[in-house]
Amino acid sequence: MNQHIIKGLTLLALTTGLATAQAFDLGQELRNAAKELQQPGGGSLGGYSEQEEVAIGRQIAGNLLGAAPLVKDAKLQKYVNTVGRWVATQSERPDLAWHFGVIESNDINAFAAPGGYIFVTRGLYRQLTSESELAGVLAHEIGHVIKKHHLKILQQSRMVDLGGKLLAKQTGGNDNIGKLIGSGAEIVSRSLDKGAEFEADRIGVVLAARAGYDAYGLPSVLEKIGHTSAQDDSVALLFKTHPHPDERLSKLGDAMDSRFDGLNGQTAEKRLYRVK
Amino acid sequence: MKPATRYTLPLLTALLLAGNAALAGENATAIKTDSLRDRPFSDAKTVATLNAGSPVEILKREGGWYQIKSAQGSGWIRMLSLRKGDAGKPAAGASASSLASLASGRAGTGKVVSTTGIRGLNEEELKAAHFDEKQVSLAESYQVSRAEAQKFAASAKLKPAKLDYLP
Repeated sequence: MNQHIIKGLTLLALTTGLATAQAFDLGQELRNAAKELQQPGGGSLGGYSEQEEVAIGRQIAGNLLGAAPLVKDAKLQKYVNTVGRWVATQSERPDLAWHFGVIESNDINAFAAPGGYIFVTRGLYRQLTSESELAGVLAHEIGHVIKKHHLKILQQSRMVDLGGKLLAKQTGGNDNIGKLIGSGAEIVSRSLDKGAEFEADRIGVVLAARAGYDAYGLPSVLEKIGHTSAQDDSVALLFKTHPHPDERLSKLGDAMDSRFDGLNGQTAEKRLYRVK
Repeated sequence: MKPATRYTLPLLTALLLAGNAALAGENATAIKTDSLRDRPFSDAKTVATLNAGSPVEILKREGGWYQIKSAQGSGWIRMLSLRKGDAGKPAAGASASSLASLASGRAGTGKVVSTTGIRGLNEEELKAAHFDEKQVSLAESYQVSRAEAQKFAASAKLKPAKLDYLP
């Protein structure tokens, strides 16, 4: 067990930013962390404090922004935060410090990191024709956060288990998490299982509708994405990491059925902030 | 003949701005057998039954419903009972992929050939990304409080609805 963990960690250390490890005795930290895992109660999955979750998410968000920075449009960013926060308020974590952003990439994609960091690419934003579609996309990502889908992946790979321990031990220890999950924003390019995506879709339509939006914003966006050729570079990563939009639409159609009839939510086409 | 071209640009702009109206004439196919109704409600009168595989023409959308024309008649059908496009045909846009890869600064090999301008995000780029404290702080500076969001919703007349999660 002990051997196994250390071996895994060594491998991890090799695949992560060794170049940045100079000012930090990674090996020693990992040995300490591994030792701690042997303590009673150590290494149990789950049960991260919100503070730990946010620290992990912030690191992933910062790494993602290192690859694709925010679109330089303060009004756009504020707008997306306003709509996103209102939708997130309809979830069971209304008081999390939710952050939303539009990032510079022509890809059609959206990303969620633990702790409420959510990003939509400019490429996806450009596809939107109404505020309800934006709400639907953000609500899907909010679904991933409240169900802790990515955190579970990290926990399964034990990386964060140790990261959390290190963080708890030291103040300002975010650097240590960075070194542990340090392979950039790789985590956001990993596939969740299909079930997690369908679950986020089902949560997404409900949160958007609770917020007073037309529930069909997310399905409309999926329809559009479904029309993009699989050969198109802009959807390569999205298609690789998600079930095909047609499959998602079929599942959503069955789940939604007539439950959203008569709600008369807003589509708010005119209110959608247009990017230049 | 010449004066006519003067109207082309405003007309195009109007078409682009029309949003939903752009749906008109779009082809779709029924992916399951469903009732065609005279109004966009599940308790509205059934005017026909549309079989899976039937081709239709979409006229407009209202909530979760499309108004359509088909050989079986005209009426409203659930949005998610249709799949846009002609069944069996590849999705449009395939021919644009080479242009798209040029625009994203990417060669066919998936390599980034230009670092200027906006580009796509692939796994390698994400993996190689370095933490950007300035950017994450900037992102956090745009945070909207719950109270601000509530104020926005009230002014936008967004009425919260009570709804259970879907099973």
